[in-house]
Amino acid sequence: MMAVTKRNILLYFRDKSALFFSLLAVIILVVLYGTFLGNLISDSLPDFLAKKWLLLSWIFAGILAVTSVTTTLGAFGTMVEDRSTEADLDFYASPIKRSSLFGGYVMSSIFVGFIMCLLVLLTANAIFFFSGDEMLTYIQLFKVVGVIGLSVISSSSMILLLVSFFKTVKAFAAASTVIGTLLGFLAGIYIPIGNLPAYLQIIIKLFPTSHSAALFRQILMEQPLQETFAQAPESAKHEFLKDMGVFYEINGSLTSPTFSVLYLIGIAVFFSILAVVLLKRKRS
Amino acid sequence: MSKIIEVHHLFKSFGAMEAVKDVSFYVEEGSLFSFLGTNGAGKSTTISILLTLLKQDAGVVKVNGLTVGKDDDAIRNEIGVVFQQSILDPLLTVKENLDYRARLYKMTKEERLAAIDRVADTVDISSIMQRRYGKLSGGQKRRVDIARGLLHQPKILLLDEPTTGLDPQNRKQIWNTILELQRKTNMTVFLTTHYIEEAANSNFVVVMKEGEIIAKGTPHYLKSQYSANRLMIIAKNPAQLRSQFQTDKLAFTEEHSTFLIQLEKTTDAIVLLAKYEELIDSFEVQKSSLDDVFIQIHNGKDDIHHDGCYEA
Repeated sequence: MMAVTKRNILLYFRDKSALFFSLLAVIILVVLYGTFLGNLISDSLPDFLAKKWLLLSWIFAGILAVTSVTTTLGAFGTMVEDRSTEADLDFYASPIKRSSLFGGYVMSSIFVGFIMCLLVLLTANAIFFFSGDEMLTYIQLFKVVGVIGLSVISSSSMILLLVSFFKTVKAFAAASTVIGTLLGFLAGIYIPIGNLPAYLQIIIKLFPTSHSAALFRQILMEQPLQETFAQAPESAKHEFLKDMGVFYEINGSLTSPTFSVLYLIGIAVFFSILAVVLLKRKRS
Repeated sequence: MSKIIEVHHLFKSFGAMEAVKDVSFYVEEGSLFSFLGTNGAGKSTTISILLTLLKQDAGVVKVNGLTVGKDDDAIRNEIGVVFQQSILDPLLTVKENLDYRARLYKMTKEERLAAIDRVADTVDISSIMQRRYGKLSGGQKRRVDIARGLLHQPKILLLDEPTTGLDPQNRKQIWNTILELQRKTNMTVFLTTHYIEEAANSNFVVVMKEGEIIAKGTPHYLKSQYSANRLMIIAKNPAQLRSQFQTDKLAFTEEHSTFLIQLEKTTDAIVLLAKYEELIDSFEVQKSSLDDVFIQIHNGKDDIHHDGCYEA
């Protein structure tokens, strides 16, 4: 399995265009925030302390959530390509188990997603440093890395299922672009959940990536939130957390971090089982 | 010699299409075996089963005593494959490609390095080890493909149409490599091709058509069995020769004022030429090539084409 994993990772980083496209959604996101989304969101909120720091943290949390999906998805492109070019025959004719081969695809995409998210995290921390804001503490970094792992694993399990439907690289590339773009809406990243109609809010709350985004926000925004709402009433803070998707309101109360973590684990387990069952059925 | 591959009554269908119908043959250890057939003849299906990539509907396939379907992993260690299409990664260097493929055989680092050196030497690719596979020429890629197939020192090397898409010079070089390999290592070489002239180098040929074996034997046997010879005569006076043949009750055909007579063997021409010497302007004795044999096996006797061999 390690042989296939290493090979796939190397292929992902060698293939400059695949690398670029897997980051395209992230690049678009950054450009949108930079040009008008950032101002739009900022204008919709009243002025308060540490506003820029708070919003920047919020934005980076969203970018991390998107990255955890799109880079994982991009790395799975190798699997689709191997299948469409029949390069996978060479693996099937070698004495390795099919499970090792699929394990290799999954492991490499998890690794790629993890590394790319770490790069985003480092960039975020560097920007906090250069803009004179407080950097993340070690404990926070540790937590973020944990959430990155969880997020990447759950994304990878969903993508594994998705990928088994694609026969050609073209179809997969088209789907990747659509997914990358939709993702920003479905996880309440382009526009905060509070500004969206009720039916979209329900979809966002169900969408797994929203929960990665929420967890990232909870950690990254911890310090600026303390500063912003030090003097403010509890109800104002509650409203803000709800509208910005830091916590989601389900049945009248805000979701706990544990809920989001369990939700992501549940998604990972469910889709992994589904993918394994489908792959096994396909084989026979 | 022992039988390294045995196929008994193999059947495989895809839906209503019967790709392989009751195919049986065997391959002797150390031989060069050719599997001949046009596209869609069932060659690929048969070798896919042999390679454990496909499950047969019925029949038994044994590779070095191991049964396909039961000992698949062991069989995969016995066979090296050169696929028809390039299957290595274009973005990786030759060395990286070989290294990652060698890892599939549970080799230690030292074993891998030794194996890569060995195969690079065998197919003469040492000078291109650091180049990206995708940037290589067709002939170079093919060499690397063969090197990949040899990594785990298989007993059998299976090549699926190894020279398809190569220019004549590269084709010849690849052939020399394959022949040399077989001679030096005494490895069993199993290849599929639709070029009969390539099969001419082999010890044994099996010809498939529409899922069935329609001929098998040594190239020499096939040639003697299916080839035909004929005498072509241009007459000084066609009308006179025609009437003479008719009086003598000699079977002939006429094409654009040349007379064609089927011969059992080329030497039969001598008697005829002596007999009709006065009437003959020029003649040619033609012996069919392997290509003709192939076409003949496929289509029956009518379509045979001739290459000139013995000019008058």
